[in-house]
This record gives sequence, structure tokens and C-alpha cells, in this order.
Amino acid sequence: MKAVILAAGEGIRLRPFTYSRPKGMLRIANKPILEYAIESLVSNGIHDIIMVVGYKRERIMSYFEDGKELGVKIKYLTQAKQLGTAHALRAVKSQIDSEFLVLPGDNFIEPKLITEFLEGRGKVSMLLTESNVPSKYGVVKLVDNLVEEIREKPNVSERSMISTGIYCLPPQVFDYIEMLANMGKHDLTSVMQQMIMDNIEIVGVTTKRRWADAVYPWDMLKLNSAALQDAKFGISGVIEKDVFIKGKVSIGDGSIIRSGTYIQGPVAIGKGCEIGPHVVINPSTSIGDNVSIGPFSEIKNSIIMNDIIIGSASIISNSVIGDGVRIGPNFVAAEGNADVVLESEFHKVENIGVLIGDDSLLGSSIIAEPGTIIGASCKVSSGKRLNANIPSNGIVV
Amino acid sequence: MCGIVGYIGGKEAKPILIDSLKRLEYRGYDSAGIALLDNESKIRVVKTKGAIKDLEPKIEKIDKIKKISSRLGISHTRWATHGKPSDENAHPFVDCHGKIAIVHNGIIENHLKLKDMLIQEGHKFTSETDTEVIVHLLERNYKGNLEEALLASLKEIKGSYAIVAMHVGEPDKLVVARNESPVVLGKGNGENLVASDVPALLKYTNKVMYLENREIAILTKDAVFVKNFEGKAITKEWHEIDWSIDDAEKSGYDHFMLKEIYEQPKAIHETMLGRLHDLNLNGILEREYDGIKIVACGTSYHAGLVGKYILEKFASIPTVVEYASENRYSELLSSKNLVILITQSGETADTLSALREAKRKGCRTLAITNIIGSSAVREADAYLLTRAGPEIGVAATKTFTTQLVALYLLGLYLGRNRGVLEPSEMQSYISALKQTPRVVQSVLDNADKIEKIAHEYKNISNAFFIGRGISYPIALEGALKLKEISYVHAEGYPAGELKHGPLALLTPEAPVFAIAVKDQTYDKMLGNIGEVSARDSPVIGVGTEGDKELEKLCDEVIFIPDIPPIFTPLPSAVVMQLIAYHIAKARGCPIDKPRHLAKSVTVE
Repeated sequence: MKAVILAAGEGIRLRPFTYSRPKGMLRIANKPILEYAIESLVSNGIHDIIMVVGYKRERIMSYFEDGKELGVKIKYLTQAKQLGTAHALRAVKSQIDSEFLVLPGDNFIEPKLITEFLEGRGKVSMLLTESNVPSKYGVVKLVDNLVEEIREKPNVSERSMISTGIYCLPPQVFDYIEMLANMGKHDLTSVMQQMIMDNIEIVGVTTKRRWADAVYPWDMLKLNSAALQDAKFGISGVIEKDVFIKGKVSIGDGSIIRSGTYIQGPVAIGKGCEIGPHVVINPSTSIGDNVSIGPFSEIKNSIIMNDIIIGSASIISNSVIGDGVRIGPNFVAAEGNADVVLESEFHKVENIGVLIGDDSLLGSSIIAEPGTIIGASCKVSSGKRLNANIPSNGIVV
Repeated sequence: MCGIVGYIGGKEAKPILIDSLKRLEYRGYDSAGIALLDNESKIRVVKTKGAIKDLEPKIEKIDKIKKISSRLGISHTRWATHGKPSDENAHPFVDCHGKIAIVHNGIIENHLKLKDMLIQEGHKFTSETDTEVIVHLLERNYKGNLEEALLASLKEIKGSYAIVAMHVGEPDKLVVARNESPVVLGKGNGENLVASDVPALLKYTNKVMYLENREIAILTKDAVFVKNFEGKAITKEWHEIDWSIDDAEKSGYDHFMLKEIYEQPKAIHETMLGRLHDLNLNGILEREYDGIKIVACGTSYHAGLVGKYILEKFASIPTVVEYASENRYSELLSSKNLVILITQSGETADTLSALREAKRKGCRTLAITNIIGSSAVREADAYLLTRAGPEIGVAATKTFTTQLVALYLLGLYLGRNRGVLEPSEMQSYISALKQTPRVVQSVLDNADKIEKIAHEYKNISNAFFIGRGISYPIALEGALKLKEISYVHAEGYPAGELKHGPLALLTPEAPVFAIAVKDQTYDKMLGNIGEVSARDSPVIGVGTEGDKELEKLCDEVIFIPDIPPIFTPLPSAVVMQLIAYHIAKARGCPIDKPRHLAKSVTVE
């Protein structure tokens, strides 16, 4: 069976982290979200993958290449304009001649979930799960195990059954996709709804297994902490004398952990990092490749991406820090409950630290209030106290 | 450069020889050929000017009349050196009676003398190549044993070569000889192969053995024997190669070159990985030197020019850079010199000659190369590997930027050991170096603008690239990239030299690409840009992010992030690569295999 992964989307609500990468390339426990999808396919014996790419596709292609390292064969197709999921599938029509699986590239799933779906599937099937925030998804009405109705992002607040966006489809679906495209509809939900109206049975397979997608940047922290529970652990690199490592910790090649550092797992540290001396890293922290953390700093429940420098005596918790960020000494990003404004939506977020976009440059002794979002390529001069969002390329003097 | 493949085993040889040959296409070629020993003990030769795919219909035509079945054969891609590209000059060559067939990579220096002699003895030549003398010599010296005939013939031959030979009377063997030109053997199951380079073998085996200079190998279906030219048996080991054939696939990109451009953040990071805390190069950095000489060709030479700035700044050692093809005539090397050889393939003939010359003069030698197990690695006193991974596009991209990283590392550690760099300075340079993968990534993330500019200038027939100081070599590299792949005439110049001549060539149709990053040459660069725009030439500036003044002076500006000036060659080189790539693509050029060029230049 072939699988189609839809990875063309941008993920506007995940800005500033999606300015330079597609949503699927956000790293959770040091692996892109897309990699989890591919691994789930591999463990279910699916090795033939068609990846529909678009926004910042080079990021995906140069990371996964032809898929050999993950034991799969990836063929890339480009969706130039991201009109919708069904539109994305139109591009793969010529590659499909039998039943195939469709997976959104931004879902964070465990492999068993795919196994259950494949076991319970019919001719046309979709995977469903229960959600507390159904209004963000397609809400599904299920009778026995057949889908009776799907409504896209309805005004519903009680816990409901939603579509995960994972489908198993026969090639006949392309006729419906064409038909709806002619009517100006480009999403798979409409395609499914049309099939229901034509009395085609759609099996809804429900799951209670882990399924999550990152909609907002702070969702990444939840996913990160879940993924770290199952991550593979192994220590290479150089660990100096008097480093204390407790729990599940992975450290990549070429990294050096200097004396007096205390690491409590689960923690993932990538390749070529330099940590310490005397740094404390608390649970549920992922540190990418090529990151330096200066002496006496403390990091907790955070995602520190790649190529980052964090100055000495900095405190960072419940935060997401983007690629190439440079932070001077004595930075404080404390956690707390906050009202966060994101793309002009208001959100009440609990236990949030700060979000810093790629390549921002922060001077020394900066204090950022909980929920502060610093955009990409911002410059903040030393000694500032930040309590409002800074748009990308912003300068705080 | 020429590519060689040979097969002996239990399978049908033809598809294997053709398929493996395609894996050598990256070396560049102008004609191709194949020789098969068929089941009636006849050697069938098919050759053609042009592509390997032109060879296939020719074979099919013969197959239609009479199906060739073969378990032994050789194939070849030719890159013309002696005699123009033509069907006749393509390899393989057979002797006067069609009993012996050979393929050859390299140059036979005394071929004219040998040819005269052989013609007088009655041999009939069918081509203008130097190679053909080998097969006639073999015919003359053949007394029932091919390897003995080859050893006898090699005594008369001067030059560089990798030769594979077969004889109708000995259908159970292939004979291989090497001097200077690379050749590698592959061990299969009930079959053995030989090729110019590893990618040709990877589909069939990952066990390889490199043949050294003045070694001869006899391949049978089940065994490989190696001897030296004196006939003494040599025991050699098989190496396992850990990259696979798929490394050579394009994974979604239109061209290998673009794929390789986008691989640079990773390649740069990999090259510095584990080397930022310490760099151990066989004790070579701990010695005292009066001076350093860097020897290289092409793009590697430009890396060397940047290296001069790096080594002089970080380590205060006088450094000279020389083209390898010019180097052998220099006399002033001594044992107090370090000679650094930069070669992507580790097989560049000119650079290897320079390496041997330096060793004869008693210099310490250090090779910066991308290929472990290459001649440069084996022969130099120490080596520093760039970890760029296989580079298929003929135009060097990721190997250039990783060579720069190797030179930064070298500069930093030499500087530290010589007491030039204070620990705190060293630390801040290392921090900045660690940021470079990210800096390059951000150039790539903003490639749309470069693509747009390239489209505007796609119809140019001349272009100039200017820079000063450490940006001057990058201007040279920008011009080289553009001419290599887009066939646009381009010149790289130190910006201050424009007024000493080239200014006369400026017209509104010839754009000037000016690298004007904020370093000590910045003000002077602005002056030079003024000189250019006064002549109505369009100026495309490459500058430091946020530089409003440059924006005013130029028609277009491409920005790179604000980093310490010494490291700007990395992002500006990537800008140059993208400009060249997108102009070439807009012009519809064969980007991965430009005409007349070869990936690894194994002739001098």
C-alpha cells in the first residue's frame, strides 16, 4: 500500500516558527513532526511514500532526501498553491492505482494507531478521535461505525468525535475530487460529504490512542513532553567529570557536557552542543544541534532548536526558542498563566514561558514576562523588560 | 574525466556495464563504448559519440540480428584529451585481429613515438587517441598470458593510466593496471567488478579495494589477485563503503546542484562537528612553520585564496596560494613549510603531483578532501576530511563551503598553538563559526529574491563579479560558477582593479555583482560601486542586512546576515551559487553536466 503525506501547508498559527519552515518540520524531541508520521508508516510495513510538498519544500527535501535513512522510498510532488487537502491529492492521481493511505504531515501519532486503523478499515475509511475543542476540526456524526455527516469547523463546544485527517481511500476518490474541484471545493471533508450523499459507505474507525496536532506554538511543548517519554536514549559525545545525569537522557555526537552540569531526564540533546559548566537541565527539555548554553543557566520543559547560543546564568522554562537565536547572559523567561495574542486571536494559556522566533538577537539581562512572543530576526537591547509581543524584524532599543 | 567499468561473473554483463557506466556520468564525458566477449568467443564492440543512452539503441540493433550473450566485458565514457570526440576515438579499442580489448583513463605521454614504431611493425590504427597504442603493444607482447603481456607493455609506456584489458583466449579473466589514474575493484558474490569510482559499484557490492600506483590486478569470477609491476604478489584488504547508491538520487530537487546547495547547512555543521573542542591532525599543527603554501585547482583554489586570509589573520603565518598546474615549477619550498592541498576528489592529478613534489622537498603535507581512501588521503602526512557527502553536480558547491570550514578550523587551531589567538578571542570566533550553518540556512530561506533577480538578468552575455579583501575570492568563485553552468562570459575582479582596464568593458547590458559586506573594505567598495553605476551598468549588491546606503547605490541588493566579516565568505558564496544556478536554469542549461567539463580532473 502507498501512503500520501500532505506536507505542503504553512501553519500560519504556528508563526513565528513557521516563517522559515513548513509546519511538518517543527521539531518535537529533536525530530520533525513529519518523521513521526513516516516512522508510524514504517512500523506498519508501508515503505512507499508520496510526499506532497509546497511551502518551503526544500526544508523537507533536504532533511528526508529520498527516505533511505528511514527505510522508505519518498517521491516528492509539489503543490504550488495550497488550496486544500483534496487539491493536494489531485497532484498524486497518476501515482495511485490501488487503495492508499492519506496522512496529514503535521499530526503527531503513535504507530499502533495506524495498525488499528488498517485493521478496522472498509473500502473508504476515516480515522476519528474524540476532542474537547471540536470547533477546530471536522466534526463527524457516527451511526454504528458508518459516518453519517461531517461538518467543517462547526460552532460546537461539547466533546465530540472529530476527523483526524487520516484516510484510507480507493482510487475512485479521484473522480469525486475532480467533481468537487469543478464546483470550487478543494477540501477532503467536502469530498467525503459528497460521497455520503451518494450513499457510499464511509467507515469511521475510532481511536483512543495518542493523536495530536500542533495548532498553536504552545502545543509544541505538550507534544515534546509526550514524545520524550518514548524517545530513544543513548549517550555519545564527551561527558566531563562530575556531570550528573539522571533518568532518560540522550546526547548526540560531538556534544560536550562540562563539569558540574545536572541533567534530569527525559531530556534530548542533539549533536555538537556545548553545555555548561554548571548548567541545570530539568525534565521535558529538547535541545537541538549545535547549541551552546553558558554556565549557571537553568532550562526546564522547553524546546531549544538548533544553532542557538544562550548566555550564562539564564533561566528558561516552558519556552520555545527558534533556530539561530542568540541570547546574552542573565536572561529570564519565567513561566506563568498569560493572555496570549496570536495572529489577532486571544488565548488564555497556562504555564507558558516565552516564544522566540528564529535568528533573534537578545542582549544581556533581559526579562521576558510569561506569554511574550518575540518574532523572527528581532533585536532586543540589553536590560529590557518585555511584556508585549514583538513583531518579526522588530527592534527594541 | 574518463570513466571505466569492467565486469566478470555469472550474470549477463551488458546491462551491468551500461548501468554502472551511468553512475559515472557525473565525471563528464563526450562519448561512450562497450566491449563484450560473446558466447562464440568474439569481442563485440559498440561505441558512439554522445550520451550513454545513444549507445543502447546501437546495441539493440546488433542484438536484433544476433543476440549477444556475455559474462565478461568492459565499458567506458571518454572525455577527450587526444583526438576529438567521435565514434572512432571512443573506447574500447581492439587490436588488429580483434582478440584483445582495452579501456583506458589517463594520458600516454610517449604515444607518438610508440605509434610510429607500431605502424612500422605493421599495426593498423583506427583512431587519433593516445590509448590505442596500448592495445597494439599488448598484441605485440602477447604470448598466451594477458597479465604478462600487460606488464611487458607497461615497461614501454610513460604516463598516467588506469587500464582494463580482456582477451578472447582467456575468457575467465580481466586484467587491470594503475599508475596515477584512480581505479577501484569491487567484490561481488560469484562476480567481480572494476570501475573508476565507487558509485559505479554500489549497486552490486559495498566491498571495495583501491588499487595503488604501479599495481596490477587479475580479476576472475571468484577471486582477485594483486601484484606490483615487478610481478610480486601483494595482500590487500577490502573496505566496506557505508554510503549507498541512493545517495546519488535527487530527492525532489530539479538538479543535483540545487540539492547540494540546500545541503550546505548540514554539511557545514557536520564538518565542524567534534572538531570545535580539539583538532588532531597527526601532530602537524604543533610544528613550527615559516610559511604555508596552499595548492589547489578550480573552485578549491578559490577556497585556498580565502584560506590565505584566514591563516594570516588567525595564525599570522605568511601564506601563498598557487594553482596546482603551475606549482610544480616553483623552487622555494623547504622543510619549514606546510603545504596544504585542497582537492574535493582527492584524485586531482595536478594537485597530487604538487603533493608529491612537496614531499620530495621535505615539506609537511596536509590534504583537505572530501573522499576518504583517496590518493591525497593516502599520500599526505595528514588529512582533514570535509564531510559534505557525495557531490554529483559538476559545479562544486557544498564541497567549497565545507573546505572553507576546514580552513577556519585549521586557522583557529594554528592560531591557538602559535599563541596568536587569545583564549577569549578563540572562543568568540568558535561561537561565530557555530552560527554559520544557521546563517547559510537563512540565505537559502530567502532564495526567492535571488531567483527573481536571476530571471531579470537571464539574457546577459557578459557579467562582472567584484569584491575586495576576503570577498575577492568569492567574486572569483561567483564568476566561475556562472561561466561553468550558464555559459555566460563572466569575470571576477578585485574591485580596485576595475579602473586599471576592465572598466572599458562595462555597458548597460553587463551587470556587475558587487560583494560589499561591512568589513574594513566597505567604504572603498561603495566607491567602486559608484564607478560602475556611473557607466550605467546595473549593479547587484551583496551586503550586510539592514545596509540602507548600499540599497541606495545598487539596482538590487541581496542581504546576508550580520556576522563577523571573516565568516562572510560562507553566506556570500551561497548567494553566488544561487545566482549562477537560477540564471543557468532560466537559460535552460544542462546544469549538472555542463559541456566540456568533468567532475574529477584526473589528467594533468
